[in-house]
Amino acid sequence: MSNDAMPRITGSANAGSSRFLLPTRRSVLAGGAALIGGAALSAPYVSRAYAAETLKFWQFYAPGGTVGSQVTWFEQMVKSWNDQNEVKVELVYVPNNEYMNGSKLQTAFASGGGPDLFIISPGDFLRYYNGGVLADLTPYIDEAAQKDFPESVIANRKVDGKIYGIPMEVEPMAMYYSIKAFEDAGLNENDVPKTWDQLLEVAKKLTTSDRFGVLFETQPGYYQNFTWYPFMWQGGGDFQTAEGKSAFNSPGTVQALKLWQDAVNSGAAPRKPLGGGGWDVVPNLGSGYCAMQNVGIWAIAALREGAPDFKYGIFKLPQPAGGKYVTVGGGWAFVANARGKQVEAASKFCAWALGSMAPDSIQRVVDWCTVAKSDMPPRQSALEKGAAAFNEGMMKVFSQEIYPGTRAEPRVPPQVYKIISDAIQATQLNGQDPAKVAEQASAQLDGFLAGYSGAPIL
Amino acid sequence: MTDAALPRATAGEPPSLYRAVPAVLALAKLVLALATVAPLLFMLSVTFKNQNEIFTMNLIPEKPTLDNLTYVFTQVNFLRYLWNTFFVAATVTIVALFFHSMAGYALARLRFPGRDAIFLAMFSTFLVSLPVIIVPLFILVKALGLLNSYAGLIIPSIFNAFGIFLLRQFYLNVPREIEEAAVIDGAGYWRIYWSIILPLSRPMLAALAILFFLANWNAFLWPLTITSDENLRVVQVAVASFQGQYTASWNYIMAASTVVALPTVIVFIIFQRQIMESIKTSGLK
Amino acid sequence: MSEAMSRPSSTPAARKAAGFRFSARHREWIAGYLFVAPDAIGLFVFAGLPMLLALGLGFFTLDGFGGFQFSGLANYRRMFVDPLFLQSLKVTLAYVLMLVPSLYVVGLALALMVQKGSVLNAVIRSMFFLPQMVSLVVVALVWQVLLVDKIGLVPKMTGFLGLGGLSWLGDPDLALVSVVVVSVWFLMGFYMLIFLGGLQDIPREYYEAARMDGAGYFAQLRHITLPLLRPTSFFVLLVSTVAAVAGGQAFDLIYVMTKGGPANSTSLAIYYIYQQAFQYNEYGYAAAMASFLVLLLMAMTLLLFVLTRGGRFNYD
Repeated sequence: MSNDAMPRITGSANAGSSRFLLPTRRSVLAGGAALIGGAALSAPYVSRAYAAETLKFWQFYAPGGTVGSQVTWFEQMVKSWNDQNEVKVELVYVPNNEYMNGSKLQTAFASGGGPDLFIISPGDFLRYYNGGVLADLTPYIDEAAQKDFPESVIANRKVDGKIYGIPMEVEPMAMYYSIKAFEDAGLNENDVPKTWDQLLEVAKKLTTSDRFGVLFETQPGYYQNFTWYPFMWQGGGDFQTAEGKSAFNSPGTVQALKLWQDAVNSGAAPRKPLGGGGWDVVPNLGSGYCAMQNVGIWAIAALREGAPDFKYGIFKLPQPAGGKYVTVGGGWAFVANARGKQVEAASKFCAWALGSMAPDSIQRVVDWCTVAKSDMPPRQSALEKGAAAFNEGMMKVFSQEIYPGTRAEPRVPPQVYKIISDAIQATQLNGQDPAKVAEQASAQLDGFLAGYSGAPIL
Repeated sequence: MTDAALPRATAGEPPSLYRAVPAVLALAKLVLALATVAPLLFMLSVTFKNQNEIFTMNLIPEKPTLDNLTYVFTQVNFLRYLWNTFFVAATVTIVALFFHSMAGYALARLRFPGRDAIFLAMFSTFLVSLPVIIVPLFILVKALGLLNSYAGLIIPSIFNAFGIFLLRQFYLNVPREIEEAAVIDGAGYWRIYWSIILPLSRPMLAALAILFFLANWNAFLWPLTITSDENLRVVQVAVASFQGQYTASWNYIMAASTVVALPTVIVFIIFQRQIMESIKTSGLK
Repeated sequence: MSEAMSRPSSTPAARKAAGFRFSARHREWIAGYLFVAPDAIGLFVFAGLPMLLALGLGFFTLDGFGGFQFSGLANYRRMFVDPLFLQSLKVTLAYVLMLVPSLYVVGLALALMVQKGSVLNAVIRSMFFLPQMVSLVVVALVWQVLLVDKIGLVPKMTGFLGLGGLSWLGDPDLALVSVVVVSVWFLMGFYMLIFLGGLQDIPREYYEAARMDGAGYFAQLRHITLPLLRPTSFFVLLVSTVAAVAGGQAFDLIYVMTKGGPANSTSLAIYYIYQQAFQYNEYGYAAAMASFLVLLLMAMTLLLFVLTRGGRFNYD
């Protein structure tokens, strides 16, 4: 901590303003600052920006939060690092809704004060990569460890063969159902839907005056898109062709839009999930608000912790007539801010935590995916080391039935996910014609893709 | 004033319809008033409810519990947030009233070239609300190095044309003689302002103080945008992110909401007469 | 404090005491400038400059990570072909058209209801005003629970009317209505007080005379109350319109309750601008749209200034 507040004012003003503002304006503003701010305020209350010594690590696993084991994992990791290293890491908690759909990270970067370390989803990778704030982590990950990440997992964190993010987990999507709700409706595990038609039919049967049959995410954002992609892929749809043109206007896309629309229109799917949204399993499926929920593998741990007595089953995503099974696998990755104070230390931290062949690094990945959370591991070695855990109970359903059909979550710039998101929203919630919406969205996509110059959209 | 179309049946009796059925009307009013405060009672009720009781219709919890409130104060640093909010709102209120009364006095009572132009320029910012200019304001405040600081929370919130406008309006109606007596006594403008104008405007300042404090206590967008430091968090941002954190637990969220709402509601209950009178008569019309 | 502010003005004693002095007129000038300075500078820096900055930033493309590029009129052109921006203007208009008349009617009705001085009325007045004392964030959170589909209290209660299946915040046709209802609930107490202030100023004798003539309640309302309330009505309509367009209140509600959704149905212009900037990193584009809104609001202010004869709201 510096003992004098005044240098910090200028310090933080200089840190980012030259990038953001026209230089000429700065002098004007600085004058205003001295006039207005400087004189009137006592020192302790002026800018307490960022202490240079510690690396700030932003994530959304709350201290004292809902899934305690995940917080513990983060805390232990950081403690272990801090015990061994000069440059310390400090966890900064940002609530999930502000992290994923909010503006916290963006605002921080826009002001030149982004965190040194943070986690990102493939869905938002290009925003930060194209913004030039992701550090190249490749030099810090040894050869053997690089090979330990299957290409299907690491590809969407790579540009030109270099690794910009180290995945913590692989999170495939599936359907969860409440055994009690099934029993109430006179159904059993043989009635688990295998096709889209069956899904709608069963959902209708499960709908009551205080419960919805099936829940899909309804809040716009890259998470909603992520959960929707597999339905698009199952019928052969996609959003871009191999040549980088829009492929959005296709029967596969239209029928996926229509499926979600039908679910809402029939009254079987809610227009507004409870809790944090569609990813949040305890307040929705766990509380009995819905009977089936489209959610990912992490829900096992969430239910284990948040609703331990809740009885549920898991089944893989139903398929459309003539379609093939596929699901999507997401997952967050550690990244380092290329414009941070100590980029090298931050990059080393990422590699040390998740990307080294040292036994403790592999064990950390195993622990995260089995003890703390319930996820598939992003590393071959971790899959072997934790084999027992991945092949028992609910995890077994994932590792044996659901995971094998996994396609990696696409990475797209914000403009693209906004176009897709608007199309989903317009059909799912606003009753617009899927064919027409797909056509419009496709035109918008083509318009954007033609002028796009960032890293490849995958 | 006669209206031929209107039946004259009520003439002779208490003339208005209003008086003809006082009991029914009183009851209807009471029901409406209760319906108005019902959402707040609901919030209070959930504060003392267990998780499984949240969506039940009963207003009185079956098994009242203090766990939710305890949780709010032990899991999150709410006391710190309350203090931050109080400090920011109080500072803004005091400084703003001081500056606005000075400006209002000069614009109303002193003659100097460009006075009307200055007033018009100030007035032109009257309608431009924070969400409209938040992008450039954010960039500006960042350039001034005020992000993540109390100064950043306080300084931009001080200046608003509304207060200047009302005080000027008020001072326009102060009789000339009061000042003239002071001028004859040899008082300077500062003394006139300090010992005559300020005391004179005490009721107006009190009314504005309440409004300013409330507005700043309840401010959300600005603190949300310019602070990420947990030590600077204000209650409105805290309660909104609390919702993001405890998504499944409406009982905690409502308990936190109650904690945030209570200070202003208590202030209102104590000072309701003054607050309402001041709004009614303060030239806000 | 400066010379001009601290020293006496035009007394002969003072004038004799010093050699060179400003004339009384000049002293008044200087005092005036000094008194106005803090607010004038502050408003310029924190309101005027951002408005100008918005106009300038609109000519740039900023990526939110420090990169920027001059892009001429591109942002300004884009906004008039951006269907979502045009829709957000429509949503703003719909919000204003629903909110302003509702507030007027509800505010006036409540004021008439509790106009007479009695203990009961005083209590009821306070109850109507109470929501105003709670922050919009809390208001939004509470209503969010009340409006939860199927199991929330509102759907349960409207279930008796056969409306239980409605999704108040999830249906694009209803979400904006819900936001308006919550806004009215929050604001009505304030406007009730403004109307009460106006009602107080109507001389009692008018009503007495009317009663002698045998005029009933509604005749009195029509022929005395409403005409004499015209200045107050004017103020209420003006202020509520302006507040609705500027959107300070609506923003917090929408941020917490709907995030502009579902399907952008509650995306007011101010919310859309915020989203473009802080969620999609389109700072330049957001600034361009903001400057359009600033110009719109300035035009409204000017109109306000003219309509109120230089900012005077009290009509005597």
